[in-house]
Amino acid sequence: MIFNIQRFSTHDGPGIRTVIFYKGCPLRCAWCSNPESQDFGYSLMYDRKLCRNFGDCLRQESKYLSGNENGILIDWASVTKPEKLMNVCLSKALSVSGEEKNMVEILNEIAKDSLFFQQSGGGVTFSGGEPLSQGPELELLLDELNKQKIDVAIETSLHVPWQKIERCLGKTGKFLVDLKHTNSAKFERFTGGNAGLVMSNIEKLAACNENIIIRVPVIPEFNHTFGEMKGIIDYTVALKTIREIHFLPFHNLGSAKYEMLGMEYRYSEMKNLDTVEMAEYMAYAESVGLIAKIGG
Amino acid sequence: MIKTIKSTEVSERISGLREKVLRTKPSVCTERAKFYTQAYAENEDKPIILKRAIALEKTLLGMTIFIDEGELIVGNQSSQHRAAPIFPEYAVDWLPEEMDGLDKRSGDAFFITDEHKKELVEIAAWWKGKVLYDKGRALMSQELRDLQDSAIIKATGNLTSGDAHIAVDFYKILEVGLNGYLDEISSFHKQVKRYEQDGVRKDHFYTALTISIRAFQSFIQRFQELALQQAEASSNQVRKAELTNISHNCKAIAENAPENFNQALQLVYFVQLILQIESNGHSVSLGRMDQYLYPFYKKDILKGNLTDEFASELLESTWIKLLSVNKIRPWSHTRFSAGGPLYQNVTIGGQTTEGLDAVNELSFLILHSVGKMKLTQPNLSVRFHQNISETFMNECIRVIEKGFGMPAFNNDEIVIPELIKLGVEKDDAYNYSAIGCIEIAVPGKWGYRCTGMSFLNLMRVMLASMYDGLDKYSGKTFYKGIGNFVDFNSFNELYKAWQHQIKFYAQKTVEIDTAVDTAIEEYVPDILCSAFVDSCISRGKTIKEGGSKYDFVSGLQVGIANLGNSLAAIKKLVFEEKKITKQELLQAIESDFEGKDGEKIRYMLLNFAPKYGNDDDYVDLLLRDAYLDFIVELEKYHTTRYNRGPIGCRYYAGTSSISANVPNGSVVPATPDGRKAYTPVAEGSSPSSGSDILGPTAVFKSVSKLPTEKIMGGVLLNQKLTPSTIKTDADKEKLVSILRTFFTDLKGWHVQYNIVSRDTLLAAKRDPEKYRDLIVRVAGYCAFFTTLSPDTQDDIIARTEQTL
Repeated sequence: MIFNIQRFSTHDGPGIRTVIFYKGCPLRCAWCSNPESQDFGYSLMYDRKLCRNFGDCLRQESKYLSGNENGILIDWASVTKPEKLMNVCLSKALSVSGEEKNMVEILNEIAKDSLFFQQSGGGVTFSGGEPLSQGPELELLLDELNKQKIDVAIETSLHVPWQKIERCLGKTGKFLVDLKHTNSAKFERFTGGNAGLVMSNIEKLAACNENIIIRVPVIPEFNHTFGEMKGIIDYTVALKTIREIHFLPFHNLGSAKYEMLGMEYRYSEMKNLDTVEMAEYMAYAESVGLIAKIGG
Repeated sequence: MIKTIKSTEVSERISGLREKVLRTKPSVCTERAKFYTQAYAENEDKPIILKRAIALEKTLLGMTIFIDEGELIVGNQSSQHRAAPIFPEYAVDWLPEEMDGLDKRSGDAFFITDEHKKELVEIAAWWKGKVLYDKGRALMSQELRDLQDSAIIKATGNLTSGDAHIAVDFYKILEVGLNGYLDEISSFHKQVKRYEQDGVRKDHFYTALTISIRAFQSFIQRFQELALQQAEASSNQVRKAELTNISHNCKAIAENAPENFNQALQLVYFVQLILQIESNGHSVSLGRMDQYLYPFYKKDILKGNLTDEFASELLESTWIKLLSVNKIRPWSHTRFSAGGPLYQNVTIGGQTTEGLDAVNELSFLILHSVGKMKLTQPNLSVRFHQNISETFMNECIRVIEKGFGMPAFNNDEIVIPELIKLGVEKDDAYNYSAIGCIEIAVPGKWGYRCTGMSFLNLMRVMLASMYDGLDKYSGKTFYKGIGNFVDFNSFNELYKAWQHQIKFYAQKTVEIDTAVDTAIEEYVPDILCSAFVDSCISRGKTIKEGGSKYDFVSGLQVGIANLGNSLAAIKKLVFEEKKITKQELLQAIESDFEGKDGEKIRYMLLNFAPKYGNDDDYVDLLLRDAYLDFIVELEKYHTTRYNRGPIGCRYYAGTSSISANVPNGSVVPATPDGRKAYTPVAEGSSPSSGSDILGPTAVFKSVSKLPTEKIMGGVLLNQKLTPSTIKTDADKEKLVSILRTFFTDLKGWHVQYNIVSRDTLLAAKRDPEKYRDLIVRVAGYCAFFTTLSPDTQDDIIARTEQTL
C-alpha cells in the first residue's frame, strides 16, 4: 500500500525524482513528520478547516463519527475500516490515507516524468514508511525499473530483517540510510526500535559495497548534541565504504497531520532547527573525510 | 571569452535617475493632442497619409523637449517623465467622461490638471465623429457591435489604443542611418507612375515618408542644440563633457549611421520613442538587442573606447528612459492590461543563422543591467535553445531569483521549425524575437499584431453551447445551437454543440478584426513605422496595406483551462459516473452554486473531476481537441493583406492574454468546472488557480499537450516560486534542468517565474507605500504590484505557489 506518489522531488537522491511513499513502518519515531505513513493499513484523516458540514460522512458511518455545527467528532479509538469513507467527503476534509496500486499503475505514474529523469540524472526513490517492509511486489517493481534503466534510490531505516534488504542488492542505485542514533537505549525510547538491528544491517550492506548515504535526522532532545552526533559520524567513518553523510534538521511541518489523525505529537511545540545549528556537525564530518550536506 | 559582471550596484547617477522616474506620478500630457488636432484641422483637404505626416512633423518640431541632469541617453515622449500623450484620432470621447476619475482609478491612476481637462474637452469636441473608434464601429454590422457589447468578443482596445506589437529593422537602421532611408525613399519616389491610380497613392506615401523622416531628423537635431546649450551653461566640467558628447552623438545620428555603441544605442532609443509618438499601440519591441548592437560594442571594446561599466550604465540609462514612456488607456481597456505596461520587449540569447549559440558578452551585460535595475521595462526575454550556454542559463536563474519576473524564456526549438513550416525563410526564422510579452515575430519583416487581435471569451461560448446557442448573460442568441444540454443523452452531443458554436464565433472574431483592420488602414496609417519595416518602401505601401514581408496574426483566447476542466467535469460526473444529473448541474451553475446542494455540486466539480495542469490525459486531451476545433476553423481565414504582398496573411491561435482573465471572468456566470460567477478565469495557458497540485513537471506535461505548433501567438505559462525554493546552487541547477526538459523534449513555448512569497504579496497589498518597487509578473509582463487593481492582486495571490 502506498500513501503518496510525489513527482518533482529534489531532495531525495540525485536529480529530479518521483518518490513512491509506501505505507507502514516498523518504527514509531517520536519526531516523525509523516505520521500517516506509520500504519500498514488505511488511516482516517480529518482537516477541520476544510469541513463544510455536508454530513455525508455521518450518514455513512455513525459508530465512531458524530457531528455538530463546528464539524465532526471522531472517536479515534473505535475507528474501524476507514476505507469505506474513502471519497465520501466532497470537500476532502475527511480523507483516507492509503491506496492499493498495482505495479502497472505505479509504473505509469513513474513514466510520466521519465524525460525529467533523463535530463537531470534523476529517477525513482522508494520511501515510506519503510519501503523494505513491503512484500514481493517491491522486488518486481525494482526489477522492472532496472530493466527500464531508471535509477532507483531506497530511503530506509534498515529496521527490517536482512532478507528484506538482501533482495535489493545489486539493483539499487543508492541506499539512503537513516542512522538515528548509536545508543540502543535512546534509540528504543524514541523510536520503539532496535538500534542493533539497524547497525548490523548497515554493516552488512556496507560490506556488500553498495552505494550508501547516511542520513541523520537531527532531533532536539534526542541526538542534537555534539557527543551524540560524533558517535554517529565516527561509526559511519569506521564502516570505511561510506563517503557521504546528510544532516536533516528537525522541522515541524508535519504537526498539523497529527491533529488530523487524532494522534499526540511530542514535538508539536518544537521550533524548526536552523541550518546554522548543523555547522559543528558538518565541520566534524568533513574533518574526518566525509562529504557532508544539509538536507538531501 | 565570456565574463560575467558580478557587480550588483548601480552608479549614483543611475540610482538617482531611476528614483526620479519611479517617484514621478503618471500624468497626462496634451501637447501631442493639440498638435495633431491643429494639423488635422489645417489640412482637412489632404489625403490622410499626408495629414498624419504633417501632424507628426508639427509635434516633433513643437513639443517640449528636455534633458535631465545626469542623463546619458536622451529623448522624451511628452512634456514630463511618465506623462502619457493623448492620441485623439483613435478615441477621445472617453477622456472627458473619465478624466475626473483618472487619479482615483484603483489601478493605473493618472494625475491631470484642470487646465488640461479644459483643453481635452475642446479637443474631444473637434474630434466628434472623426475618430477611429467611431469609424471602426460604423464599419461593423449590428451583430458584430452586439457581440462586442456582450463582451463575448472584445476588440475595443484595438480601436482605442491602436495596433503596434511590432519590432522594426534595427539592423538596417544602424547600417544605413536616417539619410540612407531618405535616399531609398527618393529613388522609389522617382519611379512612381503618377498616371496610374496606384501612383497617386504611392506619390503621397513617399512624400509622407520624406516629411516624417526629415521631421525625425529635426527632432534629433533639437536635442543636439539643447545639449549644446546646456553644455555651455554647465559649470561642472564632467557634465559639460557628457553634454558635449550627447550633442555630438545627436548631430551624427540625425543624418548618418552611428559610429559607436553609444550612438547606436541612442539612435535605437530615438526610434523606439518616435514610434510611440507616432502611434498609440503598445508592445513596440526592440528585437534582438544583443545581436544588432554587438558589432558596435565589440569594436569599441577592442579599440579601448568603451568599458563594460560604461556600456552597462548606458544600457541602464536606456531602461530608465523606456520606463519614462507612458500610455493611458480607457478603463475598459486598462482592465485587460493591468499595471500600465508598454511591453517594450528586449530579446537576448538564441541562435545565429548558422545555428550556433548567439549568447555574447553583450547578452550578459543586458541581462545583468536589467537585473540591477529591477524595473518593469524593458520586458526581457531570453531565447532558449538546446545548446545555450550553461553559464548563461545559470545567470538567468540568478536574475529570476531577484523576484521581478525577468527574464522570461521563449523556445527556439519550437518557434524556428514552426516558422519555417509556415513559409518563413530560414535566416529570418533564426532571427525571430519576442514581441511584447511572449509572442514572436521576425523584427523588421513582420506586420502588426503577431498577437493581440480580438479577445474571445471561450467560457461564454461553452455556456452558449449548453443552451441551444443562447448567451444567458446578454440574453441573446447569436447563433442557434443544436439543442439544450438537458436533452443531450451523451457527452458527445454536448461536444458537438461546442463544435457548432465555436466555429461561428471563430468566424466572428475574424469579421471584427477585418472591420478594425480596414478602419486602421484607412484612418490611422503609420508612416515612420512602415519606413522601418521591410518591404514597405519598395512596395510603396504602409504595413497595413500589405507592405511587410510576412503577415501572421493572432487573436487571444481566454479561459483555456476552464474550458478543459468544464468539459472533463461534465463528461466524468454527469455522463460517465452519473454523480450529478443534468438538471442538478444546470441549477447549480445558474444559481452560482447557491445553498448547501449547490455548494455540494461545486465541491464535487472541483474535487472529483480531473483538472488541467496535473498531467492527466483525460482532461488534457479533451482540452486539446476542443481548442483545436477553434484553431482549425480559424486557419481558414485570411487577414486584410491577403494577396496584397506579404507571405502568410493567416491567423493562428494565441493565449498571451495578459491580465484579461480578470475582466473576462467578470462577465462569465458560474461554470461547470466549479468556478464561481464573475470571478477570474484562468490566465493564459496556465492551470486554474490552485488546481495544479502535482508540481511543475506535471504542469509542464499538461501544457505541452496543447497543440503548441498551432498556437504561434504564444502559449503563456506563468509559475510562481517562493524565494526559498531556489536558494541553493543545487536547487537552481534543478530548475535549469526542468526548463531544459520542458523546452528541448516537450517543446514548450514559454515560461516565466514569479519568485515572491505569498506573505510578501499580502503585505504589499496592505501597505503599498512600503512595496513601491515590488514587481510581479502578470501573465507575460512585469508590473508594479501596488499599481494593480485589488482584483488582479487577489488573483496573483491566489495562484498556486509551486514548491521546488
